[in-house]
Amino acid sequence: MHDSLMQLVYGFGIALEPHNLMWCVFGVLVGNLIGVLPGMGPLSTISMLLPIVAVIAPVPGILMLAGIFYGSQYGGAIGAILLNLPSHPPHAVTCLDGYPLTLQGRGGTALGITMMASFFAASVGIVVMIFLSPLLVKAADSFGPADICAIMLLGLLAGATMARGSPLKGVAMTVFGLLCGVAGTDEISGTARYTLGLSELRDGVELGGLTMGLFGIADFLVSVNRTTVNPANARVSMRDMRPTWAEIRQAFWPMLRGTGVGTAFGALPGTGPTITTFLAYALERRWSKSPERFGKGALEGVAAPEAASHAKTQVDFIPTMSLGIPGDPVMALILGALVMKGLQPGPQMVADHPDIFWGLIASFWIGNVLLVILNVPLIGVWVRMLRVPYRFLYPAALFFIAVGVYSTRNNLFDVAITAAFGVVGAILLALEFPLSPIVLGFVLGPQLEPNFRRAMLLSRGDLSVFVTRPVACGFVAASALLVLLQLLAWWRRRRPGAPTSAR
Amino acid sequence: MNKMTKDHVGGALLLAVGIAVVVAGAGYGVGTLRQMGSGFFPVLLGALLTLIGVALLFSAGRVPGSDADEAPAEMAHLAGPVVQWRGWLCIVGAALAFVVLGEHGGLVPASFASVFIAAMGDRGNTVRSAAALAAGLTVAGVIVFHYGLHLLLPLFTWS
Repeated sequence: MHDSLMQLVYGFGIALEPHNLMWCVFGVLVGNLIGVLPGMGPLSTISMLLPIVAVIAPVPGILMLAGIFYGSQYGGAIGAILLNLPSHPPHAVTCLDGYPLTLQGRGGTALGITMMASFFAASVGIVVMIFLSPLLVKAADSFGPADICAIMLLGLLAGATMARGSPLKGVAMTVFGLLCGVAGTDEISGTARYTLGLSELRDGVELGGLTMGLFGIADFLVSVNRTTVNPANARVSMRDMRPTWAEIRQAFWPMLRGTGVGTAFGALPGTGPTITTFLAYALERRWSKSPERFGKGALEGVAAPEAASHAKTQVDFIPTMSLGIPGDPVMALILGALVMKGLQPGPQMVADHPDIFWGLIASFWIGNVLLVILNVPLIGVWVRMLRVPYRFLYPAALFFIAVGVYSTRNNLFDVAITAAFGVVGAILLALEFPLSPIVLGFVLGPQLEPNFRRAMLLSRGDLSVFVTRPVACGFVAASALLVLLQLLAWWRRRRPGAPTSAR
Repeated sequence: MNKMTKDHVGGALLLAVGIAVVVAGAGYGVGTLRQMGSGFFPVLLGALLTLIGVALLFSAGRVPGSDADEAPAEMAHLAGPVVQWRGWLCIVGAALAFVVLGEHGGLVPASFASVFIAAMGDRGNTVRSAAALAAGLTVAGVIVFHYGLHLLLPLFTWS
């Protein structure tokens, strides 16, 4: 533990270097802004800024991306509470009690409580990360390719089944993502796979193009001429945001419980922030002695999910950084960005690049402090930005997407790929397929296949290696359990009169 | 489209794509477990996709109605008809315009055209407001991307 603390101090030194700090601030600001604006989530933003990451050094690059991630969590609450506009699905829960609070004139209080809950939860998450990661790294040293395959399998399955909507469709999308990752030249044999005869595709699909298409362009296609925004109620002054002691006391335990939920789920690969916030809300409501207040402006209904979301955001980094297994699509994207810089997150990275690992952890704290400081005066600015009409926002966003995607490989064709994925994404959305598992599959595919190959090579084609090796067996068992649970749920739903989950 | 029909379409789509993937993948040489060819992994994935497609088609007729216990629609803030040909054509067109004009015209025409076309997709935009937006963003883009970030796309190309 003493060792970890020393490393942490070292990390602070890295994070506070002016150059790194500057990019961290940039990321945090952009993330916060993105969180407030509907449509562009951390996924799209990180994709758009990938070109910058390609150019600057790895340390500031990853600090920036992380800043975007947790910055957007802060911003998302603002739109949800003030305007009943959840910029991103996890914040949909915050609307339920946040918006009624605004209508009662207590929007400022809700925001203040949110900020407190967020900072607290993030801090807890960071502490967990500090102590858990080195342990995980040590455990991971003994992993062989079969074990890694098994872990990835669990991660992919978890991501597929716990995302919104039908788990079957989630798995289908994961497979689709894996296939997109296959497209290109096979490293081992040099065969061009699924390149549709286009030489431009020999280098594979570009990560930014895929994500910007699926989450940016597809979103435009779905939203154009269809958005409705209610800009009233958005006047908030700084003084409003200081909650009374009674209110703080009211929010205290929900905050703790929410943090617990977020931390527990953050560590599990594959669970998204949406599920986490919903669970926190549902749990809080069931725990409450006066559940009827929920949905009408209960502070607990805001504190708990927001705490959960922020705790989860921080803890999310653990499996990604220490094992190289991303916990959700945004982590997958960040992982992809690191790979792009020639780094391989996982056990080696902590040893080979302690500056990145510990600098990152230290930057979380700095970033969270910054967010609290920044959001207080900047609330007015964010709210005004929300008033920019969508009909100006999306063409601008499309333009930035086009430039951003082009600049990653200096290839205009990538922009066409983006458009193609935009159409694909829109179709999938219309058919009610979840899109996030695609990113997970796409990023993990290029690692899954070689590991599988290696595992089979080592075992001479013997599949039982997945049950004989203890680690692999454990994860395979967990995956099987997951599938079983899903089948059970499906079976129960087929019976008439099956209970619907209370909300 | 009610959900049942959506799942029918979705299942059929998965089935079709899955089969296509398997057929193409087999052409790359499947090999054995011990010595996996280029086609092994893709065929595996394609087969999986096909199976899921079948399962989806199967359940589409049976499981009544909705998965309504899932998260509220993230698209709850949207209203109006789903089909938006004007918007769709303009958005996709804008992206393609960027590609074509970027190749043959340069950053400036590509920027202007893409923003303009995209903006025209929204019924709330007039030709003038779209043009103004496009002009403004082109100027901003040139400053930020060309002079600021040294984007490699030339401002103007004659070809």
